[in-house]
Amino acid sequence: MSDMTDQKHIASAFDRDLESIQAQLMKMGGLVEESIRKSAKALKSRDIELAETVRKGDKKIDDLEERVTMDCVRLIALRQPAASDLRTALTVMKTATNLERIGDYAKNIAKRTEVLSHLPAIEGAAGAIKRMAKEVDHMLADALDAFIKRDAALADEVRHRDLEVDQMYNALFREFLTFMMEDPRNISACMHLHFIAKNIERAGDHVTSIADQVVYLATGELPEEARPKGNGVPYEVSTFKESEE
Amino acid sequence: MKDNLEGRKLVDQMDVKFKARDVQVFYGESQAIKDVNVDILDKTVTAFIGPSGCGKTTFLRCLNRMNDTIPICRVEGDIRLDDEDIYAPEVDPVQLRARVGMVFQKPNPFPKSIYDNIAYGPRIHGLARNKSDLDDIVEDSLRRGALWDEVKDRLGEPGTGLSGGQQQRLCIARAVATAPEVLLMDEPCSALDPIATAQVEELIDELKQNFSVVIVTHSMQQAARVSQKTAFFHLGNLVEYGDTDHIFTNPVDPRTESYITGRIG
Repeated sequence: MSDMTDQKHIASAFDRDLESIQAQLMKMGGLVEESIRKSAKALKSRDIELAETVRKGDKKIDDLEERVTMDCVRLIALRQPAASDLRTALTVMKTATNLERIGDYAKNIAKRTEVLSHLPAIEGAAGAIKRMAKEVDHMLADALDAFIKRDAALADEVRHRDLEVDQMYNALFREFLTFMMEDPRNISACMHLHFIAKNIERAGDHVTSIADQVVYLATGELPEEARPKGNGVPYEVSTFKESEE
Repeated sequence: MKDNLEGRKLVDQMDVKFKARDVQVFYGESQAIKDVNVDILDKTVTAFIGPSGCGKTTFLRCLNRMNDTIPICRVEGDIRLDDEDIYAPEVDPVQLRARVGMVFQKPNPFPKSIYDNIAYGPRIHGLARNKSDLDDIVEDSLRRGALWDEVKDRLGEPGTGLSGGQQQRLCIARAVATAPEVLLMDEPCSALDPIATAQVEELIDELKQNFSVVIVTHSMQQAARVSQKTAFFHLGNLVEYGDTDHIFTNPVDPRTESYITGRIG
């Protein structure tokens, strides 16, 4: 595992501890990526069994988060890390929290997929959600890659890609609203699909937060400029309605 | 950007106590300090850290001309205390050391009573007009040394009979008694247990209300705990000098990073 200085500690056990927390975090990241992919796939193919494995798999992610957090606490208490070592421990802790939340969203998607499988399909929705999930999945993979490489430029790029996810969410939001207005029988399915889209949009925010942390890890400073946000639409519902009327 | 400007203004307002420029120190042929430039602020604790033999103690000893006592030692460059050259020929090193006190690694009380340990400096510098003045100075200094309550009933007993931690606080009280402007501390806690160390650190924190304190320490945690400014020395160079919190979270020089994270000795 690469480090900022690429030098070994005099105490080799310190290196082993630092490597261990990062390896656990990457394992967690792998599981979370898989959960996102599987939940989106289960939604698209209306596969209840696959959704079930996502729900059950979340326990493992939660357990890993607890373990990695405890290991970070232990490392801070026993080794008093400074500078890049301290930033590594703190970033691992925060990133683990973000990953755990993304895992929860995937689990929630899986739950709703099971409900949705009994409802009539909404045309095009599952495909659009799957594309959105794919984008978040790629962002997460890049954010974790940036973590390992201490690559602030890549992390910054990930931060900006969240705008696309927000825009995809906004488009879906409008679409679901239209479907519900067209036929009230769509409301139940559209509500679930909307929550799924919102979950993925929130997952994107957590990935962005991971990318923020990676910038801090690599440079010692949190990114200064606020990242662009594209989620103003939910507050414009009334405007939308008016134009429809 | 705005924060930066305000921060700079704040630093400007803090007085520079010591100004060192292009300081070189030689022991015979070998150079122990190379081109050190540093401003040490008033009412601030400054920590010098670095591996053994990096020059931090040598530089500290330049600040009150303790190196004068070593015949083969030669100091070049400019060191100013309140903008006065301390190496100017008219400066009396003894008077300088009254303004710039020092506490050493091992507690070294005089083989005298607790009272006389404190009273010695004020007596030779004529700081007390009478016995009652001197009593006040002794009490005040021992209070500042956080030792008064423990020794007030046995001021006549020898200072050497105190515990290690008490002896070190006695030495700090003794250094404070001459009302110095700067206190230099060379590893003041290395011979102390954690409780006595905590007491001395608490004391250092109080002292900075009135003095500029410069502390050499091998314990990076101690530097992080007590200082506001940290200077990292390596192989006779002052590698990095800055705010302590910055040095310990995000140092600029890779050598500082390596040292404080335990990668080079």
